[in-house]
Amino acid sequence: MRQETPGATQAEHKESAGPLPAGLTARFALVVGDEYCIREPEQLRTYESDGLASFRVTPGVVVLPTTTEEVVGCVKLAHEAGLPIVARGSGTGLSGGALPVPGCVLIGLSRMRKILEVDFDNAFMRVQPGVINLDVSKHIGPQGWYYAPDPSSQSICSIGGNVAENSGGAHCLKYGFTVNHVLGVRMVLYDGRVVDLGGPVLDQPGYDLPGVVVGSEGLLGIVTEVVLRILRMPEATRTFFATFPSTTEAGNAVSAIIASGIVPAAIEMMDTLAIVAAKAATGVDWPEVGAALLMDVDGVAPECEHTSGVAVELAKKAGALEIRVPRDAAERELMWKGRKSAFAAVGRIARNYLVQDGVIPRSAIARVLTEIAELGQRYGLRVANVFHAGDGNLHPLVLFDGRDPAEEKKAEEMSGEILRICLRHGGSLTGEHGIGTDKAPYMPEMFTPQDLETMQLVRCAFDPGGRFNPGKVFPSPRLCGDKPGLYRPHPTELTGEAWRA
Amino acid sequence: MARLTPGSIDEAQSLLAEGGRSVLFVGGETAIPPGPPVDLELSTGRLDRVVEYEPADQVITAECGVTLAQLQGELGKHGQRLALDPPQPEKATLGGIIASNAFGPLRTRYGSIRDLIIGISVIRADGTRAKGGGKVVKTVAGFDLPKLMCGSWGTLAFIATATFRVHPVPEATVTLRARGVDPMELVRKTRALQLEPAAMLAVREAAGWSVYLRFEGFGAGVRAQREKLKELEEAAWPEPAPPGGRVRFGALPSNVAQVAKALAPLGGRLEWLPTLGLGSVAQVAAGKDAVQGARGELMALGGWLVADGDLGPPPSSLALQRSVKQQMDPAGRLAPGRFLA
Repeated sequence: MRQETPGATQAEHKESAGPLPAGLTARFALVVGDEYCIREPEQLRTYESDGLASFRVTPGVVVLPTTTEEVVGCVKLAHEAGLPIVARGSGTGLSGGALPVPGCVLIGLSRMRKILEVDFDNAFMRVQPGVINLDVSKHIGPQGWYYAPDPSSQSICSIGGNVAENSGGAHCLKYGFTVNHVLGVRMVLYDGRVVDLGGPVLDQPGYDLPGVVVGSEGLLGIVTEVVLRILRMPEATRTFFATFPSTTEAGNAVSAIIASGIVPAAIEMMDTLAIVAAKAATGVDWPEVGAALLMDVDGVAPECEHTSGVAVELAKKAGALEIRVPRDAAERELMWKGRKSAFAAVGRIARNYLVQDGVIPRSAIARVLTEIAELGQRYGLRVANVFHAGDGNLHPLVLFDGRDPAEEKKAEEMSGEILRICLRHGGSLTGEHGIGTDKAPYMPEMFTPQDLETMQLVRCAFDPGGRFNPGKVFPSPRLCGDKPGLYRPHPTELTGEAWRA
Repeated sequence: MARLTPGSIDEAQSLLAEGGRSVLFVGGETAIPPGPPVDLELSTGRLDRVVEYEPADQVITAECGVTLAQLQGELGKHGQRLALDPPQPEKATLGGIIASNAFGPLRTRYGSIRDLIIGISVIRADGTRAKGGGKVVKTVAGFDLPKLMCGSWGTLAFIATATFRVHPVPEATVTLRARGVDPMELVRKTRALQLEPAAMLAVREAAGWSVYLRFEGFGAGVRAQREKLKELEEAAWPEPAPPGGRVRFGALPSNVAQVAKALAPLGGRLEWLPTLGLGSVAQVAAGKDAVQGARGELMALGGWLVADGDLGPPPSSLALQRSVKQQMDPAGRLAPGRFLA
């Protein structure tokens, strides 16, 4: 994923198919209201990319519904007109999952931000998809409850987007990802049918379709309501920040803490460049050392005292230079702000950077970091590392100057090589940012054609015409009913109902 | 009908690729769904190897025929465990546990198999082998085939191997018992006190509910939680109900009183996980009409009840559910007449 700091204007992968005919867009306007049907070219450009700003496509029309019924109306119109549909939440995704498809109907869900139901006895909340992640926890915080998944973008990203991407966050090590906290969804299918999958009553007879919908990156349908599991806040949280001469000692500390039987709520690592960047952006007074760990344990208070004490001792034994414990909640918050703003902070020390999101087995951290450093030397590029060390989810940031096309090309190559290192160590292409547009070409390096074909069967069960988010996730889209082998046009392609993106 | 026990996953693949026959997958025979006879029973009895175990990563991969007890034995050597306690661990196999979504009271804290599985490899009805997920605890690449297979009752594909996230074995454990209480009241109390029970189980007795709580973790935390409930007695965890005649059901946790009333006519032993709203009645004495009546009452509350493979009225999403089955097993060869098939 390529990020640009202000001043850089170069954009690639830009496409446009022009706006849709006025007669057609007028019908969408009847469904959502004139004001919420966006047709002007200038305004359409607001929606031309998500958080992955290097890919840009102008949508055919943008609609901003507020109810399931309005979504149904829009989907039915798009289906009749044979238009592709792309759903969008807050547009913070980092893999191009909400990137428009030329001529598509982009359904923006950010106006659907009602909290519909809160039930503490049964520990769930029912919300619309446009509700902001952090607003869920804020809504129930006064009663001492919270929603566990906490992506770094939680103050702006939406629950619907979290569902599409199966978002993680720093505290997923102990509590799991979005999929572990979604009990059910209401979903609009390609032909406008509405289905309820799962719900607050657990294990309802049927396949675990909520488990499949979460993380399906907008390819199966449009989620218009989500039932979330909510949790009672733990009695205590203990945080500490430890510095190390290098990532090797920090990595060993992580391994020792995990091996002692502690399940930290979060354990995050930053290397020198990431520390320097976080300092520049947030004013934290961190020393510019080789590596730092930021760790939370939570639970009942005496257990926290015990586990944080043990963890600090293990960090010292692994070679920690200094241990800091925040004096109060404000200082703790500042430490976490330093960590959570690390991506954006890198913009302070480099003109451009690519964010990578690979996963490796935790035990391979030290080896993989060495390999990434060697790769950086070979390419002559700096790499800042900031990542979720507890679950082996790396976020190497490859720094470059976008004014030099040759350097940019090198950065892209190197970023791809980092993914290959992760795969060689038995890891994954993505831990939380998704495949989207960005990583679809890499899927065959992790999955066989048979694996991908099996996933496509699931897609065909939900959306046989490939109407939702075509061109995402899968490297070479197949239409449902295709026989493997040479390309032949599918009947639905000949009638114009579907196409390959 | 033939029963075959392949000695390798390749052999299982060849058997499926031959095509033509209807097939039922058989593991430890603790949760076989009833249904019409099939041409071939494919037993996983010899697919019993642990494929890969890296204690430092807290991740293990095993073949489907490995029993839960065997897996726990392997993990126990390194102070780890799969945080799942379904009935009959000596017989229940990993493939069967995944296919039947089997669980026990530890689900209170650690979730069900869907929350612990991170990767899977399957063989489709036509012999195609495919995998999903991975062997790292965190991956969002591709659709979540591991979760699709959880609770699929052998109707979508043969589960060949699975990879799980495992947890450390707790240092200390204590079980407390509260007699004659309202389970929901006790749940509210544990939440108000910010206690974190690893397991909570309510058993219906003549005198009302007995609720068992288990606290696990490091000694300091377990002692502190025990102290906060000092009015409760320490007790042994109850013996699991004997298998057979079991009815399973779900409802909202707050509906516990209506649930107990609806299920009373069934007799047998009623168990309820009070934070989750899931339960079972073992050794049901009553006949089909009583079961139907109980189901009707639960469904009026938004709940469900499954008895002897009978799911009751189809879910509103039936067409979509069937479409998934149709795509994965177009000839309808896997577990015909069972589950939604």
